[in-house]
Amino acid sequence: MHIAEGFLPPAHAIGWTVAAAPFVVHGARAVVREVREHPESTLLLGAAGAFTFVLSAIKLPSVTGSSSHPTGTGVGAILFRPPVMALLGTVVLLFQAMLLAHGGLTTLGANAFSMAVVGPWAGYGAYRLTRRLGGGLLGGVFAGMALADLATYVTTALQLALAFPDAESGFAGAAGKFLGVFAVTQVPLAIGEGLLGVLLFRVLTTSARPELERLGVLARNPRDTPTEERR
Amino acid sequence: MTGLAIDDAAWASAWRVRSPADKLLLSLGLVVCALVLPAWPGSVLVGLTAVVLALGPARVPARTFGRAVRLPLAFILVSAVTAVVEVGGDGIGWAPDAAARAGSLIGHALAGSAAVLLLATTTPMSDLLPALQRLRVPAAVVEVASVTYRLLFVLLTSLTTIREAQAARMGYASVRGSYRSAGALTAAVLTRSWDRARRLQDGLAGRGMDVGLQVLPEARPSSRRFVAATVAGLAVLLAVGVAA
Repeated sequence: MHIAEGFLPPAHAIGWTVAAAPFVVHGARAVVREVREHPESTLLLGAAGAFTFVLSAIKLPSVTGSSSHPTGTGVGAILFRPPVMALLGTVVLLFQAMLLAHGGLTTLGANAFSMAVVGPWAGYGAYRLTRRLGGGLLGGVFAGMALADLATYVTTALQLALAFPDAESGFAGAAGKFLGVFAVTQVPLAIGEGLLGVLLFRVLTTSARPELERLGVLARNPRDTPTEERR
Repeated sequence: MTGLAIDDAAWASAWRVRSPADKLLLSLGLVVCALVLPAWPGSVLVGLTAVVLALGPARVPARTFGRAVRLPLAFILVSAVTAVVEVGGDGIGWAPDAAARAGSLIGHALAGSAAVLLLATTTPMSDLLPALQRLRVPAAVVEVASVTYRLLFVLLTSLTTIREAQAARMGYASVRGSYRSAGALTAAVLTRSWDRARRLQDGLAGRGMDVGLQVLPEARPSSRRFVAATVAGLAVLLAVGVAA
């Protein structure tokens, strides 16, 4: 769910751009450092960006009848870490605005804050916490991807509520309205995306084990972590 | 044909040969006008200008432009209506001047979307990315974005082909099956993206790449008449919008 071009008042558009900027600049620094040390990362990071973009073309059957598409920031945060996702997510948002008319340029900052900053960090936090509590890889992936999606949607709803407070009940009332209206599509989508993540990592642990080990998602020696061997 | 209608339109547009900087000035000028001017008559004028320029001199197919403007419409309508509904102690009702506020929100959003689309349907991303570098975005970041642009069409083609094969084998016949197919599809596209990146890297390393993917940008000189007309047009828009 992206805020459309022209929807936010100018002050809010500028404010959210300023809020997202430090995270995106931090991500850009991480990418520049990574590329200087390993020039071959340019292509891998580009591939990760293209994958995140293409994820929005995958349709998930939704419980409410309509079908929606995953946001993909959760899987990116688990595979490539949130700082890199802050930059890649912003690049993908720019491409979505320019190639799919999804989102916008003046709302890029607000969308980047919700989808490239809050979503990945919340998802990554949930993923790490679940794994530390013994939830295993698949449990962590489900929590991470579902929460990244939920956090993005909640942030977007709060951004809209801040911009358009309710005439009578103010910010709180507006937050309730926007959260309620978009929950119809976003809550089933978050659960669907979590399920998709579980199916995705089940395939990956069998067919792309070396890549997952290189990214640090799986431990090098599979015998140390028997729960991850579950299929 | 790549499968993304807006990108196809950008490559085929009559304005493709114009300087990207000129088109950026025009579109961003219109975007700012759409944002700051009151909805009546500002948004209407900006929207009309963008549509007339895109369908007229830039010769963007009307179908493509119309479809692209419709895409964000669901979000715009739902959010605009939600914004003007009032929740208070005595239940739900319309806020005072609800129709005017909703109209103003929808007007601003549609005008802004049309202005961005004018740029999107006349300028391919590969022309815009070098402009980012001139805005002091680090070269490494622009390169990652360029690789993203080049790879995403390859991956979209893979995705379409795999999904067709899955659908032909009843992969999407039930909800359960749909999820299993979508999971396998995502995994296949992800591993293919890694494979593509590795093969590209091997090819480039074999050719001695060590200073990044440098290409000569096509020279597209800025047109003085275009810039003058843009500045004059934007000034008229601002004057009319503010005066009204």
